[in-house]
Amino acid sequence: MLLLIALMTSRSIAAEIKLVNFFTEHCVQCHGPDEQESGVRLDQSINLLLADTRLMEKIVHVVEDGEMPPEEELQPPDNLIDEIIPILEDRIISQRSPNPLKRLTRFEYTNTLSDLFGVEFDLSHLLPPDHVEEGFDKFGDSQIMSPHQLMAYLETARFVAERILPLSKPETQTWDFDGKYFHGSKNFATGGGGDYLEDDEYVLTGFRPYRSNLHLSIDPEEHDQFAIPAFGKYRLEVSVRSDQSKEGEIIGINLGDGRHPTSFKTIKRIALPHRANHFETELTLKLGDQLAFTFDSARIPGKSLKKQEHKGPSLRFSRVKIVGPLEGSWPTKAMKAIVPNPDMSPEELVDHLAIMLTRNELPSEDRTAYLNIARAKLELTGSKPATARSILIALLTSPHFLYKSESQELTAIQQAHRLSYFLWNSIPDPELLNASKLGQLREDPREQVERMLMDPKTDRFIEDFTRQWLQRDKVSDFGPDVRVFKNVRRMTVDSMSREGRELFRYMLENGLSMELFIDSDFVMANDRLARFYGLPPVEGDNFVPVELPADSERGGLVAQAGFLKLTSTDFATSPIHRGSWILKNLYNMKINPPADILINEPDIRGTTTVREAILKHQELESCSRCHSKIDPLGFALEYYDPVGRKRNEYRHVEELVAEDDETVFTKKIKFTKAPIEANMTLPNGREVSDMVSLKNALIEDKEKIIKGLIEKLISYAHGREVTVADRPYVNDVFDSISEEEFSLRAAIHAIVDHPAFRKR
Amino acid sequence: MKRRTFLAGSGISIMLPRMESLGQVVETNSNRRLLTIVNHLSFYQPKLIPEQEGGFSQTPTLLNELSEHLEDLKIFSGLDNPAVQNGFGHTPCVGILSGYFNKLQRKNRLSIDQAIADRIGGETRFKSLVFQAGENLNFSQISWDKHGLPVKQIDSPRKIFNLLFQVDENAKAQKQVLAEDRSILDTVLSQAQSMEKRLNHTDRAKLDEYMTSVREVEQTVKRRAYWADRSKPQSDYKIEEFDRKSVDDYVSTLLDLAVLALESDSTRAVTVQIPFWEGFKEPELSGNYHDLSHHGQKPEKIEKLMMLERGILSRISDSLAKMKNRTVGESTLFDQTTTLLTASMGSANSHNFDDLPALVFDSRIQTPGHWRKQDAPMSNLYLGLLQLFAPKQEHFGESTNAFEILA
Repeated sequence: MLLLIALMTSRSIAAEIKLVNFFTEHCVQCHGPDEQESGVRLDQSINLLLADTRLMEKIVHVVEDGEMPPEEELQPPDNLIDEIIPILEDRIISQRSPNPLKRLTRFEYTNTLSDLFGVEFDLSHLLPPDHVEEGFDKFGDSQIMSPHQLMAYLETARFVAERILPLSKPETQTWDFDGKYFHGSKNFATGGGGDYLEDDEYVLTGFRPYRSNLHLSIDPEEHDQFAIPAFGKYRLEVSVRSDQSKEGEIIGINLGDGRHPTSFKTIKRIALPHRANHFETELTLKLGDQLAFTFDSARIPGKSLKKQEHKGPSLRFSRVKIVGPLEGSWPTKAMKAIVPNPDMSPEELVDHLAIMLTRNELPSEDRTAYLNIARAKLELTGSKPATARSILIALLTSPHFLYKSESQELTAIQQAHRLSYFLWNSIPDPELLNASKLGQLREDPREQVERMLMDPKTDRFIEDFTRQWLQRDKVSDFGPDVRVFKNVRRMTVDSMSREGRELFRYMLENGLSMELFIDSDFVMANDRLARFYGLPPVEGDNFVPVELPADSERGGLVAQAGFLKLTSTDFATSPIHRGSWILKNLYNMKINPPADILINEPDIRGTTTVREAILKHQELESCSRCHSKIDPLGFALEYYDPVGRKRNEYRHVEELVAEDDETVFTKKIKFTKAPIEANMTLPNGREVSDMVSLKNALIEDKEKIIKGLIEKLISYAHGREVTVADRPYVNDVFDSISEEEFSLRAAIHAIVDHPAFRKR
Repeated sequence: MKRRTFLAGSGISIMLPRMESLGQVVETNSNRRLLTIVNHLSFYQPKLIPEQEGGFSQTPTLLNELSEHLEDLKIFSGLDNPAVQNGFGHTPCVGILSGYFNKLQRKNRLSIDQAIADRIGGETRFKSLVFQAGENLNFSQISWDKHGLPVKQIDSPRKIFNLLFQVDENAKAQKQVLAEDRSILDTVLSQAQSMEKRLNHTDRAKLDEYMTSVREVEQTVKRRAYWADRSKPQSDYKIEEFDRKSVDDYVSTLLDLAVLALESDSTRAVTVQIPFWEGFKEPELSGNYHDLSHHGQKPEKIEKLMMLERGILSRISDSLAKMKNRTVGESTLFDQTTTLLTASMGSANSHNFDDLPALVFDSRIQTPGHWRKQDAPMSNLYLGLLQLFAPKQEHFGESTNAFEILA
């Protein structure tokens, strides 16, 4: 034993000496007593240096990538690098900081309640959104708890408990609205939105939700809006057809007062197939909700303040029937699940609900307080449902429910939770819990993972992971400016934002290789996107795989319009955004703008020197370390415009002084053409000049990119950043799926099957 | 732009009584109030800040909008926020009132409005009221409590109005709810305490945030329970419905509500932000506020921007005038209120977070005028303000000394 320790110590001392020598020989000249480039100094005590994990990680990256020592300096031999890196890696692994405690995100909280009680809640009006600037909102590091967050939990818990345990049975009612009850903006002094009543049909011609929507009044003579009378599920049966249209149209269902739409919110979009004249849908609505319909795929924004005859496509509504609240049985399923037996004592009720919500028994020291709440309520009201409500509110606000507590080695219950919040974004179901308790997740999780992936709840993972990874929700943040991009409409942009998700889904469902994220001979497209890409027509709003013509440059994430638009502003592309997006999201690199440098926003509109302006970055050494990687990737994509269309030259846009007119879009625009110069050299000497050469360069980096994607998946599953300390985990997963052509589905299996998945 | 007429008479018919102490330390016994107004997109400073220092002689165009109040005004220019990290778009705006922003840190630091509210807000229905800049939470969380946690900000004029004046028709049920909330909070707090014993160091820090939050919410619930028993102030103010946000509609509504909140003594500290991301759209202008603020030094854009800024300043001037017209107790509301108007950027055109202007309105100011304080930390101004409410305080953020506000 003593010998072993002595041996280990001498080994680690030898390693430290090796490092000190390496630093002295190759680094200290610029990172030492005389100079401290980038504020780094490597001639300090080795133990002090090694304790700085972030610094060690940085050193691993720059040495591995050949960024340091700089080209012009003496280069360390490869075999020395191969010795140094593992020493650093071991040290980083040994001192990794623990995965911090995580609370439920709003999405997880909402799904958990839906699964527990079988009610689809929308809690966005109650719970604050989870903000995240890097990585995923599941990271414990980035999650804040604050008094107003906690107050929101308390209020949400009460809202939920009162809705799922109503004290009396709500009566199902039917409302039937026709043209007499339809109202739109034509009735308002705020200016017309181009909608009108014609022959008992209400006609929407443009998209301008704040101005142009169809809403329902309770009295033909009055303008008071119809409002939902009680929480519950409602069925909508709507008679509506499109006119002068050659394709399916999209209808928006919105909540908010259609007369004064200050807080209008789209809750659902309905794809109305071509020639259809009817749709039905079910929505969970709450007391006071007001419904309004919009024409989301309209060709015109609905801008005219003048009366003009409308010629293009329109939506014509003739009838809206609303039935609800719909209750399948009474007492409801949720009521029966919460109070399975009316004779339950407060003790039984507390124990039952604690297990239901936290999948665990309450620690005995906590149980008493719940019992006190239950007994007090029962005494006050004599009602079991009211008592159950109070227990629920307390449990839903408790740290046992809100936080995902994890021990160093996950218990069976914790393993089930991790897996379930990974693939379902929700609490494990009884089958998964039992399987985990029987040790199945430890021995061979394949069967459970397959079962879970077949479940529609996996849709939440697909939706949420791709939303955050690809920033799909930001695709429509800017523009497109209708004056510049005349034919790019709202629903085309909406389709762009769905493409990444649909590709991910298709690959997951069909066990396809993650290499397809780099390039593929097909794309996922619906009617609008296929037309936008100039592909053979696709019918309908659903995405299907479409084979690409041989000469097409599409295929792969970097050729998706959604990504190309996301990384552009209203008028102009941004090579820096595009390049750093690729490094961050495909390679999973950490890239931050330097915190100590003021980044001025130059006005580059109308100039032809974007390239020159940006290349200035590379002249300064502090900038060039990142920009020599970022800029070539971004510039190679300059042949794609701000909405992701191929272009052969720049079209710079300049806004001229507005003319006085009563409409909003009167700003005059001046276009200047300029040639594109896209070729640049990557740090490894490889030249990239366009989409094709860029994809080739990415394919050459296949291993790095696939590892980057594996890291994204792991960080999502574990709720923490993936660092150098996770290399063994990432490498194992990579190796094990290499035999399965790097299938996305296999990657998920391999991650869950890895021993690290069962650790904190 | 049309000028709104003042509301006839006083908008308030019942003033709130003071709350008997809930055990909070009240450092001052006066009725002093604080109104903080932050304009994230700043003002076009060449037309706001006089060239000369000292008393006002010639006033630039934008300052003209405030001409009624020059005798009560001190302008400080050229201020800096040394602990606010630059270079992340609008995000550093979150640090304007705390003087602090670090992208890697999730928490901020106590903001000046809350530092003062902690001292003067013990007896009113709300310790403070903070209005959000439109609906964009990301960049407009500017109020931070003493734990560095975000303070709830309210995002719509309707919600603010209801909070102030809506009478709860279900008062009895509401009281039961509040009583139950208190026992639930007790329960979850003791649960967190027993849970904490089993946790490691990092997790404890996380759970501490939870426990801190529970304790703060307990205070809020206590406060609510106290006020649930008492009648609410009433107002004949009609809140306007608007579907497009013009300066006129939006800023004046927010400021009206701020004045009503102070006048009804619902709170002593109100923080207002001028909405910026959605931007204003004026019928006479093409382009929205945020767009125009990136004027690229183009004269025609600056001219349009100035129209909006003049609109904003004239609404602020109206509100100050309104406060001078309202009598509360023995003096006017204005006499009892210190108003701070500042901006989180020096210029929105270049996104710089230094060279900041600050305008302080207070009827006790003896030497009105302009003081250039090139590169002085904003915290010096904040310390000066804080000392108006709590004379013994000696530090705030990066303060190196305290500005003279009144002398």
